[in-house]
This record gives sequence, C-alpha cells and structure tokens, in this order.
Amino acid sequence: MSAVIETRNLTKTYGTVKALDGLSLTIPKGGVYGVLGPNGAGKSTLFRILLGLIAPTEGDASVMGGAIRDPKAMRRMGSMIETPRYPPYMSARQVLTWLSLAHGLTSDTTRTDRWLERVGLTEAADRRVRGFSVGMLQRLGVAAALITEPELIILDEPTSGMDPPGIQEMRALIRSLAHDDGLTVVLASHQLLEVQRVCDRVAILNKGKLVREGTVSELTTTGERLRLSLTPLDKASTILGERGTVDGTAILANVPRAEGPALIRALVEQGIDIDEARWVGTDLESVFFTETGSIQTPEHDHVG
Amino acid sequence: MWADAIRAEAFRLSKSRTTWFWSVFFAPILLLIVGAISSLVIDANATKLAADPDAPPELTQMLSMQPLDMGQAMIANAGNLSNALVLLFILIGAATVYAGDYRWETWRLISARNTRPNLLLGKLAVVTGLSLVAMLVMLISGTLSDLIQAAVFDRGLTFTMDAGDVGQFFLLAGLSLLRILQFTMIGLLAAVMTRSLLVALFVPLVLAIAQFFLPMQVLPPMGFMPDSWLSVLVDPGGALDSIKDLVRGGDAAAGVPDGVLPKAWISVALWTLLPAAGAIAWFNRQDLSKE
Repeated sequence: MSAVIETRNLTKTYGTVKALDGLSLTIPKGGVYGVLGPNGAGKSTLFRILLGLIAPTEGDASVMGGAIRDPKAMRRMGSMIETPRYPPYMSARQVLTWLSLAHGLTSDTTRTDRWLERVGLTEAADRRVRGFSVGMLQRLGVAAALITEPELIILDEPTSGMDPPGIQEMRALIRSLAHDDGLTVVLASHQLLEVQRVCDRVAILNKGKLVREGTVSELTTTGERLRLSLTPLDKASTILGERGTVDGTAILANVPRAEGPALIRALVEQGIDIDEARWVGTDLESVFFTETGSIQTPEHDHVG
Repeated sequence: MWADAIRAEAFRLSKSRTTWFWSVFFAPILLLIVGAISSLVIDANATKLAADPDAPPELTQMLSMQPLDMGQAMIANAGNLSNALVLLFILIGAATVYAGDYRWETWRLISARNTRPNLLLGKLAVVTGLSLVAMLVMLISGTLSDLIQAAVFDRGLTFTMDAGDVGQFFLLAGLSLLRILQFTMIGLLAAVMTRSLLVALFVPLVLAIAQFFLPMQVLPPMGFMPDSWLSVLVDPGGALDSIKDLVRGGDAAAGVPDGVLPKAWISVALWTLLPAAGAIAWFNRQDLSKE
C-alpha cells in the first residue's frame, strides 16, 4: 500500500499553542480519507503545511513522494481550503482558465467546461462569481482543485454552507472521484455522518495529536455493545459487573458478538426477564466524541 | 514557472475592466479634455493674453501661429509620461495586481504550484506591461491634445525627428517607465507587508510627497543642499528628473548640478531594487494561510 502523504513528527507552534504536536500519519493511495477532529485539533494546520502555505516548526512531511513545496509533487495535487473566494469580476469559466494558466496549462475550454459540468455549474459558467452562493463557490472550488487533473485532492470542509441536496451531490462527486477516476481524496469535515458515508479510512486528531486511525468499519465495529432491556436492573448489573453499563432502563453489555447468545442464556437462567436485546454500534460520531473527550451525544443505534 | 505566473496574472488583469479604466484610460482622457478646454479658453482670450507682457513663453509660442513640430512635441511628451496624474492612477492598477490575492484570498489557489519569487516577479512583469500600455495611451492622448491645440490656434504641422531625436525619445520614455516602476515597487512592498490594497495605494503617495518636500524644505536648513548625497538619495523622483534633464540637453541639462548623475543613478537603483528585494524576501517567509 503506497502512501500519498506521510508526516513524521510534524509540529507547528503558534506562540505557546501547539497546533500540531508530533503528528506522524500515513495516508495511503486510493479511496477517500477523512481527517476528523474538533476545532483546534490541527486539521487545517496539517492541510496548510501539506500545501506549503505555512512551514512546520518541527518534523517533516512528504506529498506524492516529494517534499512540501516541491513544485513537481505539488503539480500532482489539487486542493480546496475552506470556502474559496475568487476575484469577483470573473466568471466561473474565467476563474478556471485563470487557474489553468497559473498551473502551467493552456486555456483549453474543453477541459474547463468538462469540470464545470462535473460539478454542476454549466449553466452558471459565464456568471460572475460575485453572485455565487456559498455552495456554488464550494463546487467551483472543487472544479478548480481538479482542473489540473491531479492524483491527490485535499478538501477542507467541502460541504460547508451547502444545502442538503448540494451535500448529497458533493458526496456523490467525491466518491466518484475516488472510485471512478482513481483519485485519492483527503478531506476534513465537521459533518461526521457525511464522513462516515463517504470515507474509506479516517484519522481522528485531538489537540494536534493522532488519537485513532483506521477504516471506518474498523472504528465503528470495535465499540459494538449489546443493549438489553431487562428486569430487575440491579441484579443484572451485579451479574455483569464491569462488563455492563446502566443506560436508563437498559444495560449496555460490552461483549463480543460471538458471546452474545451465551450471555443472554446466562441471564435468563439467573432469573432475569429480558424484554429486548439488540446490538448497538458506535457510529463515527460516538467514536469521535469518545476519542476527543468532547460532549457525548446519546448512543446511536445501528442495524447490527 | 515565471511564464505561467505572467500569463495567469495578465489573464486575470485583462478581465478587470474597472482597473483598466482607472489605471490606463482615466488620466489620458482627463488630460485630453482639460487640454482641449484650455486651448478653447486661451483662444477666446487670445487678444488679451497676447498683449500681456508677463505671459509665459509656452503661451506666447502657442499664440504665435508658428507651425507645431509634432516630432519634438512627442519627445516632450515622452519625458512627461510619468507625471503625477499618471503615477496616481497607474498605482490603482499596480495595487490591484499586487494586493489582489490578499484581498480575494486567492494566494492559496496559486501558490502551491509555483515558487513564490516567480509569483511576485510575474506580478512585476504584468505591472510593467500595464505601465507601458498606460504610457502609450498617454502618449496618444498627448499627441491628440497637441493636434487639437494646433487646430484651435490655426497652427500648421511639421514633423522633424532625426536619429538622435529617436534615441532621446526612447531614453526619456524608458526613464518615465523606470519612474513608474520605482513608484509602484513601494506599493509592492507595502502590499506584501500589510496584505492591504489601500495601504499599497496610499504608502507610495505619502512617500512621494515626503520625498518631494524633504530636499526642498527640510534638508536645506539642515545644511544639505539639493545636490548633496542625502538630498539625492531621499528623492528618487527628483534624481530621475535630473537624469531626464541631462538627456534633454540644452538649458535643461545646464540646470543640473555637476556630479549629480552617479548619485541620481544610485538613488534610482536603491529605490527600485530594495523594495522589490524586500518584498520577495518577506513574501518568501509569509504565512499565506492568513489572508
């Protein structure tokens, strides 16, 4: 599995604040890779270092096998950092032509029109961007990142400011780029459900450090628990001991799936009436809140 | 590559009609209109002005009905292509080019795939091109103004320009371009250091005013004469005017103190190269994620 991005002990300090704290991360080629973390976790700092916009305080990183700011490596990468802005007097088509020229390409209208169509901006191609909504600017930003036909694309909050249909279209586009076009997509998002739906692998950052990394399925199945609605609660809790956590009128049992039926049998044999038993998983949101120590939301059920 | 930066910057500038109007067309159009109105007003008062013994020589020549030499008029115009009005309005275009990427937060879009010196040098090349176009339009405007004046005062037209005159024309035009670039370099440094279009616009103006008054009002009482090193070094505009006078020759050159030429070139070189080098050095270390 070759890597498109590798960071080694990457540290960025702003005064006394460590935005990144010795981050070592390997992002493999192919698929959609999500970088998650609460505000101030270091996601944007990481992206900005990778794009050569800021220099790290310590450590180093490579992108597409080359050093940061290496023009050869940078030419194989496209990016959109937050909601992009453009000179307001230019049309969407002119913006893409301008960026094509800036990146050493010709002003080929076939290419610009193809990407405008891909992001759903064909009808707005000749409109000045000063009248664009945030969602339209985001789409144009993705087209701008793709205009050089890169192998790696970095998207910071690509669905920020978009309405639900726009988010759905962006999600489809991202997956299509990764799975139909063969690009590696690295994205940061606060919308955890979106990340779960679109990403193949995720890294969770907190306070500039990597706290979890793996495929979405790995992260979301490791915390699976058996939710038992039963009576009497006290007796069941005593039987389960540290393996059980009282959750309202139910108990969440930390047991592997294979041991689930045996546990139910044992409880019934000891006089516990079980009203309902079902597997509840941890979605990415739960993992995120657990790992980052953020405010916990209610447990989310999933079909298990 | 530098060529990519130039092509992209030139394309973007070509789409900004507001910038073109203000930095290239406004000053020449204004001067053309003012020139035409002045000619008509002078013509209406010709008898009274011709009898005035204190009338300036330019006015006397205008009313003399002698043929107007368009070749010599063009040479005079070439030496005046960096006048205050041109400088003021070309700065609007220069500031837009230099500070536009900070204003629209677009550095992050273009900085990943090119070196930072190339990006700034691309902007410098485009501002140079814009200045040349502005000078050409101003030259056309000046020529039209001369033709209107000739028509209003019933003056005939001649055209004399020998090889020496051609050389003088291009030298004066080149020095005018140098003055514009030197002026806009301060704007470049201000834009990079402050990330502000307004600062890029006003710092060169304030500095130019200060540079104009320092050698005339402040330094002489302190013992520094206009031809002293300090006076020449602080006023690159005045230094370039001295060089232009030496190129013009005749009475103009006679008014330039001896030994000023090397000081003037050093002043011009310092005020042109240092701001550019400073801007590139600053930009190379700048955090472009904060725009």
